[in-house]
Amino acid sequence: MTTRAVSSGRLWWLAAGFGVWCSGLVVLYALHAIGCAFAWRAGLLRVGLAVALVAHLIAIGWMWRELAARHPDPTFDPTGAFLHTAVVWTVIAAFVAIVLTLGPPLLLTTCM
Amino acid sequence: MNTPIEAAPQGSPALRLHRQLVPIWATGPGLHRLAAVNHSVIGVRFMATAFVFFAIGGVLGMLTRVQLATPDAAFMDSETYNQIFTMHGSILLFLFAIPMLEGIAVYLTPKMLGARDFAFPRLTAYGYWCYLFGGMILTGSLIAGVAPNSGWFMYTPLSSNVYTPGINADVWLLGVTFVEISALTLSVEIVVSILKMRAPGMSLDRMPIFGWYMLVTALMMVVAFPPLILASILLEAERAFGLPFFDPRRGGDPLLWQHLFWLFGHPDVYIILLPMAGLLSTMIPVLANRTLIGYRAIVVAIIALAFVSFGIWVHHMFTVGIPHLALAFFSAGTAIVAVPTAVQIFAWLATLAHGRPRWNVPMLYVFGFLFTFVIGGLTGVMLSIVPFDWQAHDTYFVVAHFHYVVGGALAFPLLAGLYYWLPLLTGRTAVHQLSVPAFWLVFIGFNLTFFLMHLTGLLGMPRRIYTYPGHEGWIWLNLLSSVGGFIMTIGFGLVVIDLLAQLRYGRRVRRDPWRATTLEWAMPIPPAPYAFASIPHVKARADCVASGELALSLARGEGYLGFARNGWQETLGVHMTSGAPEQLIVLSRPSYLPLCTALATAATVLAMLFQFYLLTLAVGLLVAGLLVFAGQNAGLARDYGPLPVGHGVSVPPHTEVADAPPWLALIFTLVADGTLFTSLLFGTLYLWISAPNWPPAAAPEPNLLLVLASFAALAIAAAAARGSLRSGAAGRAPQGWIALAAIALVAALAAAVALIGGVIPPPRAHALGATASALLGYVALHAGIGLLFLLSNLMRLAAGFISRQRLLDLRLTRLWLDYTALTGAVALALVLVLPTLAAILETRP
Repeated sequence: MTTRAVSSGRLWWLAAGFGVWCSGLVVLYALHAIGCAFAWRAGLLRVGLAVALVAHLIAIGWMWRELAARHPDPTFDPTGAFLHTAVVWTVIAAFVAIVLTLGPPLLLTTCM
Repeated sequence: MNTPIEAAPQGSPALRLHRQLVPIWATGPGLHRLAAVNHSVIGVRFMATAFVFFAIGGVLGMLTRVQLATPDAAFMDSETYNQIFTMHGSILLFLFAIPMLEGIAVYLTPKMLGARDFAFPRLTAYGYWCYLFGGMILTGSLIAGVAPNSGWFMYTPLSSNVYTPGINADVWLLGVTFVEISALTLSVEIVVSILKMRAPGMSLDRMPIFGWYMLVTALMMVVAFPPLILASILLEAERAFGLPFFDPRRGGDPLLWQHLFWLFGHPDVYIILLPMAGLLSTMIPVLANRTLIGYRAIVVAIIALAFVSFGIWVHHMFTVGIPHLALAFFSAGTAIVAVPTAVQIFAWLATLAHGRPRWNVPMLYVFGFLFTFVIGGLTGVMLSIVPFDWQAHDTYFVVAHFHYVVGGALAFPLLAGLYYWLPLLTGRTAVHQLSVPAFWLVFIGFNLTFFLMHLTGLLGMPRRIYTYPGHEGWIWLNLLSSVGGFIMTIGFGLVVIDLLAQLRYGRRVRRDPWRATTLEWAMPIPPAPYAFASIPHVKARADCVASGELALSLARGEGYLGFARNGWQETLGVHMTSGAPEQLIVLSRPSYLPLCTALATAATVLAMLFQFYLLTLAVGLLVAGLLVFAGQNAGLARDYGPLPVGHGVSVPPHTEVADAPPWLALIFTLVADGTLFTSLLFGTLYLWISAPNWPPAAAPEPNLLLVLASFAALAIAAAAARGSLRSGAAGRAPQGWIALAAIALVAALAAAVALIGGVIPPPRAHALGATASALLGYVALHAGIGLLFLLSNLMRLAAGFISRQRLLDLRLTRLWLDYTALTGAVALALVLVLPTLAAILETRP
C-alpha cells in the first residue's frame, strides 16, 4: 500500500494538550486576580474558578477521548503513528497536569 | 530549465568532489574571515567566545569568594562587590550559558541532521557579531567601573534611576537586549533548519533525539525572550524618558518587572538544560553501546517540560504578597515539573543499565552531571513548597540550589560533550593524562563550594551581602566554600591545559573514534566547510547509522547533491514531517554585511546608552537600510523549475515553492513578536488591576476619529498587499498595489503618532498614558517596518527577483501586514477601552 506524508499542520497538535493547560492556568490566575481586586465574595469566586477548571477538564477530556479512539490513519507513513502516539500522550500528560496543578489550590482561602 | 553541472577536476571521485566544493563553501583567508557565514566557523567562534566569557565570569565568582571567605573582609567595598556579583551572574547566564548552547546548536545541528549549513548563514553571522559586541559593551563597563550593580535580575525599584542614577543599569538593559538579538535570530533559524533542512528520508520519528531537544529549546527561546526584551525596553523608557511603568507613585508597579523577567527567567533554566540533556541523550547510547531507551517518552517529556516551565515563573515571587490560592498553582506546577525531568534521567539510567558502558572521561562527567543535577532537582522540589521557600528565600540555600541546577546541568554535560566532540573539531583524539584528575578537582571543588552553601543558607545567610560580622556561625562554611571554589578553578585550569595538550599532542584521526551512530561522524574530521560532500538518504533512525561506511560513500558523492552547480551553496529542503525532498535551498555566500550591520546596531546601542537620541535614530535607520540592502540579492534572479539533485530526483529551488525557509522564519518571528505584544497587553492589564494610584486623576480621552483612521489605514494596507500578491500571481505589475499599501501605512503611522501626541494623562504623568503610548508605539513601529517590506518589494521587482513563479517576497509582505492589521486592531481597541477600564476601578469597594 502506498503511504502518504502527514500534513505539516499536524505538528501543532503536539502543543494542543498543554495549550489547554496554559489556557487553564491563565484563565484561573486572571479570574482570581480580578475577583480579589474587586472583592468578590469568596464563594462566588471559588465557584467561578471551579467552573473555569471544569470547562478546561471537559475540553481536554474530550480531546483525549477523541484522539485515543481514533487509530493512526494506515495510509500515512510511520511518522503518522509516531505523531499520533506523541500527541495522545502529551494530551494525557496535560490532563494530569491540569488536575494536579489547578484542582487542589481551589480548596485554599481565596484572597489571603 | 535544468542547469548543467560543472565539469569535475581530475583525481579520485572523493578528491575531485572535494576540490569542486571547497572553493564554493570555504571562508577566505585574512580579513575575509570577517565575512565568514559558514556554520562550522561561526559555531566554533560562538563556543570559543563563550569560553572566554566563562573565564571572565568565573574569575568574578572567585573574587566574590575571596571577599566572603572571612568576616569583615576589606578585599573590596560594597559598590565593587555589587558590580562583581551582578556581572558574575549576568555574564554566566547571558554571555556564557545561552551563547554556548547556541554555538553547540550552530556547529552540531546541521551535521547531525545531514544538512550542509543552517537556513540563513548571514543571520547566523549577524547573531554572532551582536553577541560579541553586546558582550564587549557589558564587560567594558566593568573595566570602566560603571558595570550593572543591581543584581543579575535587575529588580525595580532598585534599578530605577532614583536608586541607580548612573548608566550602570542602562548598560545591562541595552547590552543584554543587544545580546538577545542573537538569541532570537538563532532560535528562529534553528527551528526553521530543523523542520525544513534534514537529510532526505529523515522523518520526524527518525530524527536524532538531539534534533528534538534543539527544536523544543529553540521554540522555547522564541517565546521566552520577548517578555524580557519588552521589560528591558519599558525600564529603559522609564529611565531615559520618565515613562513610569514601574514607578508606583505614578501608577506603575515594580512587581510588573518581576513578572516579565521571570516569564523569561524560569524557562531560561530549561533552555539551558535541554540542549545539555540532548548532548547526554546522544552520548550515553554511544558510550553504553546501546540504543537510547524511551525515545518517544523523552519526546513527550521534553514537550511537557517546555510548557510547564513557562507556567511556574511565580515560584520566584512566593514572598511578594500574592494570595495563597494563586501561589498554590505555581507551587504544584513547580513540583510536577520534576516528573518529565525524571523521565529523562530514568531513560539514561535504563540505557546505561542495559548497555555495556565504556568508562572513559566523557562518562565521568556524565556521572558528575547525574549526581549534581539530582541534588539540584531535589532542592528545587523543596523550594517549590511555599512555607519552605518563605524560610529559604533570598538565602544562600537558593544560591546553592541554582548553582547545582544551572551549573551542574551545564558544566558537567558541557565538559562531557567537549571531550566527546573535540576529535570532530580538531581531528585529534584526547591525551587524557590530565583529564581524570581534572574531573575530580572540578567535581570535588564544585560540591565543596556549593553543597556547603545549603547549610550557610539554612543558617540564615542572605544573598548579595558583601560582608558579615562573623558571630552567626557562617565563618567555616564560607571559608570552606571559598576553598572549594579555588579547587574547582584549579580543576578548570587543568581541563584547559588538557585540551591544549590534546590540540598539540593528540593522535590524529580521520574518522569517528567512538564508533558513534549519528551523522556528524559520517564525514572526514575535522569537517570540510561543506560538511557533507553529498547528502545522505536516511532509511532508519538517524541515531543508528554506521557512520564509518556512510562517510566513505558520501565523500565519493553517492548521496544527494554530490556535485557542484553554478557555484551555488546548495543543500536540500524536505517535507517537515516525512523528510521527503521538496526543494533545493541555495544559501547565501560570505559577506561583510553581517559585520557591518552588527557594527551599526552596536552604534545604535551606544548612542542610546550615552543619550544621543537623534544619533540613535539615525544609526537605527542605517541598520534598517542595511537589513533591506542585505535582502536585495537573496534568492535567484530567474526561474529555473525543477533541478536534478541526484538519485533521479528533481526539485524546484526554494524561491519557487510555498513553504520556503524565509516563509517559516517569518511565521516564527511573528510568534516571537506576538509574544512580546501579548506581554505588553498583560503589562497593561496587570497595571490596571494591581498597581497603586489607579485610576489617574486625568480621565483619558483617546481621539476616536484618529483611532478609526489608523485602523482603517492598516486594513487598507493589508488588503493592498493581497492585491499586489494577486497581481504578481497573474503576471501583472503589482507596483500600484504596493504604492497604495505604502500610502495607507504612512497614514496609519501618522495617525498613531498623532494619537501618542495627544495621550491623556501625559505618558510621563501616569502609567496609563505610558502604556497607551507603548501600545500606539507598537502599531507605529510595525507600520514603519511594513514600509521597509514594501520598499524591498519595489527594489527586488526592479532587479528581477520577483516573478509569477517567485512570489515569496509578496507573500512575506502580505503576512507582515496581516499581522500588523490584527495586532493594530487589538492595540487600538485596548487604547479605546482603557478609559472604561479606569472608570470601572472606581466601583471597587
